[in-house]
Amino acid sequence: MIGKINTIKSKTSSLKKRVARDGLHTIRYVILGREVNRGLLFKLFIYWILIVTSYIYLNPILKMLVKMVMNEKDLNDPTVTWVPHEVYLGHLKTAWQALHYVESLLVSVGISTVVAIFHVIACGLMGYALARMQFPFKKLLTVLLVVTFIIPPQVIVLPMIIMYTKLGLQGHLFSLVLPSLFGFGIKGALFVIIFRQFYTTQPKELEEAGKIDGASSFKFYWKVMFPLAKPAILVVSLFSFVWTWNDTYYPRMFLGQSPLVPLSTQMSRVDASITSMLGNEETALVLVEAIKMSASFLALLPPLLIFFFAQRYFVESVERTGLVE
Amino acid sequence: MRGKFKIKARTSRHLEALMFVAPWVLGFLLFMAFPLVFSLYMSLHKVTVLPTGLKYDFQGLKYYQEILFGSSAFYDNLIPFFQEIVIMVPVIIVFSLFIAIMLNQNFPGRILFRVVFFLPIIFTSGYVLTEFVNQGEGTLGFLERFSIGEYLLDFLGDSSWTKPVMDVLNRFVLVLWYSGVQILIFLAGRQTISKSSYESARIDGASPWEVFWKITLPAMSPFILLNLIYTVVDMFTFPYNPIIELINTGNYGYNSALAWIYFVVIACFLCLIMLLFLRMNRSRRYR
Repeated sequence: MIGKINTIKSKTSSLKKRVARDGLHTIRYVILGREVNRGLLFKLFIYWILIVTSYIYLNPILKMLVKMVMNEKDLNDPTVTWVPHEVYLGHLKTAWQALHYVESLLVSVGISTVVAIFHVIACGLMGYALARMQFPFKKLLTVLLVVTFIIPPQVIVLPMIIMYTKLGLQGHLFSLVLPSLFGFGIKGALFVIIFRQFYTTQPKELEEAGKIDGASSFKFYWKVMFPLAKPAILVVSLFSFVWTWNDTYYPRMFLGQSPLVPLSTQMSRVDASITSMLGNEETALVLVEAIKMSASFLALLPPLLIFFFAQRYFVESVERTGLVE
Repeated sequence: MRGKFKIKARTSRHLEALMFVAPWVLGFLLFMAFPLVFSLYMSLHKVTVLPTGLKYDFQGLKYYQEILFGSSAFYDNLIPFFQEIVIMVPVIIVFSLFIAIMLNQNFPGRILFRVVFFLPIIFTSGYVLTEFVNQGEGTLGFLERFSIGEYLLDFLGDSSWTKPVMDVLNRFVLVLWYSGVQILIFLAGRQTISKSSYESARIDGASPWEVFWKITLPAMSPFILLNLIYTVVDMFTFPYNPIIELINTGNYGYNSALAWIYFVVIACFLCLIMLLFLRMNRSRRYR
C-alpha cells in the first residue's frame, strides 16, 4: 500500500517536472526557436545586422540629400548635421546650369535607352544560340565569350579610337552605341551569359512543338522564346541602362572635348572646373561640396526613379533568370 | 536519298544558327579581335602621329622591357593594388554571401531591405561613388572611435601590407558598396537549392550550423566561383584603379604594351583563382 502511494507520488512529481520542463521549452522555443533561424533572438539579430548595414548604405545618400538643400549658413554651422533650418534650392539651380541639365539628360537617356535595347536584342540572339542551337565552333565561341568578359576595356580602347577616327565617328555620340548593336560594349559578354543561362532553363518541348508547327527558328525565337524571356530582358535592360548611364570611361575616350556628352561625363567635367575655379578657401570648399552633391543627385535621379519603379519586378526576375545553373 | 536529306536538314539547321550568331561574331571581329591584334601590333611599334596619319616603326619588345625592367612605376602601382584586391575580394564575397542568406530568410519587411541592398548596383559603377569616397564618406565611424587603425598599425608594423590594409579600411564602405551584384547573384543562387534537401536535413536532426556547411555552402559553390570571377574582373576593369590611370591616350605604343601586360596579369590571376577553387572543391568532394 505504502509502496503504491510512493509510486503515485513519484509519478506525479515526475509529471510536474515534465510540465515545468515543457513550459521552459516553450519559452526557449519562443526566444531561441525550434531551429536557430526561427526564434525571436535570431530575428532580432537579423534586423540588427540588416539595419546597421542599410544605415551604412544609405548614409551617403541621405547626406547627399541633406547637404544639397542646406544654405551657406547651415553648411558652415557644425551643429547642423541632419536637419537644415530651411530648404535652400540655390545649389540645385547652380548645378542644373553647370550640368547643362536638359541637354545632357536627353543625351544620357537617349544613349542608355538605345544601348539597352540593342543589348537585349543582340545578346538575346547570341545567348539563345549558345543555349539551344547546334552549330560548328560552338565551344570555341563560348570560350571567346568568356575571353571577351575578362578583357579590360583599356586593352582595346586605343585601336578603337583609331578605328573610329578612320570611320569619322570619333567624337560622335554614335560611337558609344555602335558596339552594343553587336552585343558588345559595357559588359556585353555578361548579358550574353545571363540570356544563355535563362534559355537553358526553359523546357526543351517548346522547340519540338515549334518544329512540328514548321516555324523557322528565327520566327520561333521572336514569337515564343523572346516573350518568355521577360525576366532576363528586365535584368539585362536595367543593368545595361544603369551601367551605360554611369560610365565615364568610354565617353571620355571617344567623345573627347565634344560639347554634347552624357550626364556622368558632364559631371566629372563640372567637378574639375569648379575645383580649379574656387581654389582652396575653406568657405568656398563647403559650397563646392554642396554644389557637387546637387550635381550628383541630379545625375542619379533618373536611374534611381527607374529602379524604384522596377525594383519589385526586378527582384522577382533575378530569382527567375537562374543567373547560373 | 535519306542520308542526303539528313545532311541537308543539318546544314539548314546550321545556317539558321548562323543567323543568330552572325551579329555577335561580326561584333567580335570588329570590337574585340581587330582591336586586340592591332594593339598587340602597336605595342611592338613606335607610333608617331603625323598630320597625314599614323606612322609605325618596328622596334620589337622595347616597350615591354621598358615597363617591366626599366622603371619601378608599374610595380609601385601594381603591387599595392594587388594587395588591396587580395584583401577586398574575400571580404566582398563573405559579406555578400552573409547578406544574401539573411535576405533570404522569411521576415516582415524583407522587401524593403532588398531594395536597400540593391541600391549599390545603381551607384557602384558611377562617378558619384568616387565622389563620396573623396569626401570621406567611405570610412566607418567606429574605426576612428575605437582607433582600430592604430592597433592595426602596431600589429602590422612596417610590413608592406600596412598601407593596403589601411586603404581598404579607410574605404570600407566602398567595399560594401561593391557587393551589389554579388548579393544579387547569391540570392538568385540560393533560390536554386530545393527546399526538400533542407527538410530532410531537419528530419535527420542536423543543426542549422551543420546545414549551412553541409548543404548551403556546397550548393552555392558554383555561385561563389562566379562571384569570385565577377569581382576580380570588376575590380581590374574599374576605370579608377591606379594602373588604368597610367593608361591614357598619350603614347600609343607604350600604352598598348602596358595594357597587354596588365591583361596578361589579370588572366594569370583568374586562372590561379579557378585552379585553386577547382582543387578545393575536388578535395572536398573526395573526403
